[in-house]
Amino acid sequence: MQIEKFAVRLILEKSGDMIYFSQLDLASILTRALRRADLPLYYTQGFNPRVKMSFGRALKLGVAGREEITLYFTEKITAEKLQEKLTPQMPQGLTIIEIS
Amino acid sequence: MIDFCSVQKPQRYIGNELNAVKKSHRDKIPICISYPDLYEVGMSNLGLRIIYGMFNFFDDIACERVFLPGEDLATALLNSNTKLFSLETKTALDNFEAVGFNLSCELNSINFLKILKLGGIPLKAKERPELIVFAGGIANPEPLAEFVDFFYLGEFEEGIGKFVEIFRKNKDKKARLEALSEIDGFYVPQFYSVNIRFNKYEFDKLYKFAQFPLKRVYVKDLDKSFYPLNWLTPHTQIIHDRVPIEIARGCPNACVFCQATKLYQPYREKKISTIYDIAKTIYKNSGYENLSLLSLSASDYSDIEGLLDVLISEFKAKRVGLSLPSLRIDDSLGNLYRKLLFLKKTSLTVALEAASDSLREKLGKKIDANKLFEAAKIIKSLNLRTIKLYLMIGFPEETGEDLLSIATFLDKLQSYTGLSINVSINIFVPKPFSLWEGAWMCREEVLGEKIKLVLSSLRKRRNINVSISQTTKSILEAILSRADRNFSSVIMKVFGASGYNIAENWQVWQNAMEECGIDYRTYLESKNENFPWSFIEGSKTSCCKK
Repeated sequence: MQIEKFAVRLILEKSGDMIYFSQLDLASILTRALRRADLPLYYTQGFNPRVKMSFGRALKLGVAGREEITLYFTEKITAEKLQEKLTPQMPQGLTIIEIS
Repeated sequence: MIDFCSVQKPQRYIGNELNAVKKSHRDKIPICISYPDLYEVGMSNLGLRIIYGMFNFFDDIACERVFLPGEDLATALLNSNTKLFSLETKTALDNFEAVGFNLSCELNSINFLKILKLGGIPLKAKERPELIVFAGGIANPEPLAEFVDFFYLGEFEEGIGKFVEIFRKNKDKKARLEALSEIDGFYVPQFYSVNIRFNKYEFDKLYKFAQFPLKRVYVKDLDKSFYPLNWLTPHTQIIHDRVPIEIARGCPNACVFCQATKLYQPYREKKISTIYDIAKTIYKNSGYENLSLLSLSASDYSDIEGLLDVLISEFKAKRVGLSLPSLRIDDSLGNLYRKLLFLKKTSLTVALEAASDSLREKLGKKIDANKLFEAAKIIKSLNLRTIKLYLMIGFPEETGEDLLSIATFLDKLQSYTGLSINVSINIFVPKPFSLWEGAWMCREEVLGEKIKLVLSSLRKRRNINVSISQTTKSILEAILSRADRNFSSVIMKVFGASGYNIAENWQVWQNAMEECGIDYRTYLESKNENFPWSFIEGSKTSCCKK
């Protein structure tokens, strides 16, 4: 059974204390934030389903800046709704700049 | 200030985890608590999280955390004359009113002293005019008695309210310690003297209102006791990267080597409804993708099937992993195995302890190993990759036959299941308060022989991987858990030796013991009538002077 997936592109800014967290850390920080926000998440298929997301170029540890991430949902979700639900779950130093 | 980019894994020192509590210290009693190991290990400890949450529940307490820094940060601190600081507000440790340690692992004693030293805190209790160092989780506090102002015996949930009350009322260290020592569970070593007379430890109290004999304190109602629902969620990976949901405390079994059974008496369970509420709230507050049901023996939970049904129906759709680490084989392979299929276990873990039936019986380990063979079909249907077995060697009454039966057993299991087997063999350590606390620990050379015998009987097995614990490490663990107050001089010597990881070096310990004139065998061969820890109730030979 193929579940339809809806992609949303996100631009995040890493600053402050969050610059010390690696790309791997970022994936789990985002996963947990999405889970807390109770969004209709799309999971990877296979033995150990994970929340699907894909990353653009990674920032070096200790460097502030922007990163592009694509998230996937099982329903269409508007930019406003995602912003509203996800923002309160983001740690300080990780700011949503743009959703498209 | 330290440049965090210059050290490995700076994530360890930032202290900005989700649900971390940062309070200003103004008009508050600042307390720092620690598990004396690296961040990734310490953050995996449930006790520390419970205490952190409980302390911060009080408006006038600011409780923060500190862990053992990596060698690189420790060097950077020393080079820049900076004191080790708490994670939350980066306050130097010597600016706290009290610093508490979880000392449940004996081998962390040196780490504990390292943290004090790096934090600018004098090591010995009597060298500290104001700051109070306290510790818990330790069965026999005696080897560390000189360094700690008070130990809490038992479960600190019961004592924390009294602690706060006394710290509010008294500002002077002596007054605080005196008031604490009058309450069950609080052990202030400087208020007691210990002497050995005629092969017997004699204990006297030096402060007349101090409790004596000392009692361990237990949580009466686990359903009502505090649980850290605002789960402190690290932004980086830790060793046990899942949320432990405690379902029961203590264990109804009585295996002779087990210390936990005795330390966490009596056996208490949480209700399914309590566990469900806790799991649901913690998931909501943390978003953690894995939950693990924690207890010493999940199989003994009275309605484990009912509990799993409730949790699986809540978390299945959310793809939250559930794990059950302490199941007996009867359950793993009996009526629970269909539920386990959902849990997607890739390995089956069996704490068998001894391969021969007769030895297992002597140990009080109620496991029917034949279940494994009978259920070979089920094992195959579970899609497992490996079977993990825990065994122990070094028991006083163990025979060569017992040891050789390990190979026979593993071969049979391998041929029945066709799976690869990982065997982890630990060395028996007679732990204080366990039923066999008075048993002798085997000598190194005897242990060496036993290991040789087991390994040679297991040679050339392709699908059987064996790991055996190091004899010297087990001997050291035994010494540290069984020693008396005299041993603190050895700990000081080892601490003073150079090198960041000296605590693991047996040679350094041996030299230190020799220099201090201590024959460690006396701790491992109980020739005395009682033990260094006999002033605490629960030891078989508790003998207290009136």
